[in-house]
Amino acid sequence: MFRCECFDMYKDVVPYSVAWSWQKSIVKERQALMERNEDCSDTLIILQHHPVYTLGTASSEENLNFDIKDAPYSVYRTERGGEVTYHGPGQLVMYPIINLRYHKMDLHWYLRTLEEVVIRVLSSMFSIKASRLEGFTGVWVGDQKLAAIGIRVSKWIAYHGLALNVTTDLTPFQRIVPCGIRNRQVGSIKGLLGEPRYSNGNGTEDIYTDACQLMDITHNSLLKEFFEIFKFTLHHRSTSDLKFQEEEPSSLLTGKHS
Amino acid sequence: MALRMWASSTVNALRISCVSNSHLSPAFSLSRCFSTVLDGLKYASSHEWVKHEGPVATIGITDHAQDHLGEVVFVELPEPGGSVSKGGSFGAVESVKATSDVNSPISGEVVEVNSKLSESPGLINSSPYEEGWMIKVKPSSPSDLESLMGPKEYTKFCEEEDAAH
Repeated sequence: MFRCECFDMYKDVVPYSVAWSWQKSIVKERQALMERNEDCSDTLIILQHHPVYTLGTASSEENLNFDIKDAPYSVYRTERGGEVTYHGPGQLVMYPIINLRYHKMDLHWYLRTLEEVVIRVLSSMFSIKASRLEGFTGVWVGDQKLAAIGIRVSKWIAYHGLALNVTTDLTPFQRIVPCGIRNRQVGSIKGLLGEPRYSNGNGTEDIYTDACQLMDITHNSLLKEFFEIFKFTLHHRSTSDLKFQEEEPSSLLTGKHS
Repeated sequence: MALRMWASSTVNALRISCVSNSHLSPAFSLSRCFSTVLDGLKYASSHEWVKHEGPVATIGITDHAQDHLGEVVFVELPEPGGSVSKGGSFGAVESVKATSDVNSPISGEVVEVNSKLSESPGLINSSPYEEGWMIKVKPSSPSDLESLMGPKEYTKFCEEEDAAH
């Protein structure tokens, strides 16, 4: 069993730049601890973001269906892999900061394991049969992508992460070619389950009654599956311990900040 | 264990050292089980190689590294004229939605970068020691090279690293 400290902010909507800065300062700290052989815990941050588009290292601006000068939301070029995606309220974002030396120094394994976390959540909580699509990292239900994944690895410490659409408003995805994939769609758990029907006395039960409850159920299951798959022991940390580092100005491609 | 011993004696006969990728199951074809380690190069524990020829050192990532990464889809390289420092990141390679740092085994000035990699990042996979070279550096400190591993040491290092995971 390995130790993982969890900064659980799943009900909070956090600016992208702030969460990115937290990750970078944690990675820097972990690398310093590793030099001294004192690295003894992985980290998980879980939260929601204000509406934002992010690009990966190789992302093409052609996958944006808008002019960057006139962007509907902030656009950041980040150091993760993968193409453009959208983050916004109703989407649970997980940033595991994992030292792969303590697990498996295998990026394929890591990505497949992150996918497995979501696949298990969808199956156990919602009886949704999700799958992988070969060649397209992420979690799919039919031709709808429910979870996107993109990571960065620095000296075997992996960061950035995973975004699962729970009750997300999906319309901002129409302004981009999500993950550079043109002929498929983006979905959400709420979209697949449909609106809750109120009990009609026939004994049928809704899986959820409102959006908040859906977020709660999904969050609880994500943590459970994540900790089980990676064989972590969970230690909650206070978010006041997170440090903010000034971001590089060139990473924000638009005039706005979010 | 028997497979490894057979493999070592075979590869010694071929005069190339090999390491085994223990994460592949034995059912996979043998040709995929071994990474190549070349003589005449020096190696860093972060899986980069250095070839020192006269005033210039060429740097890239090893066969072991490209095999662990999978298909490289994008390579980020510095500008010529910039400097690199030993152990510091000089660029990145992206594969399977993961972008990984590449670190410089030595300090010095970047004199040339492999511009072919922007059109053909897969050269890193198909030819990690030749056409997939990444940067050429004028070393600023000759002693940097001395602290790197030789081929036999690097082979052993890879075996130990793979066995531990």
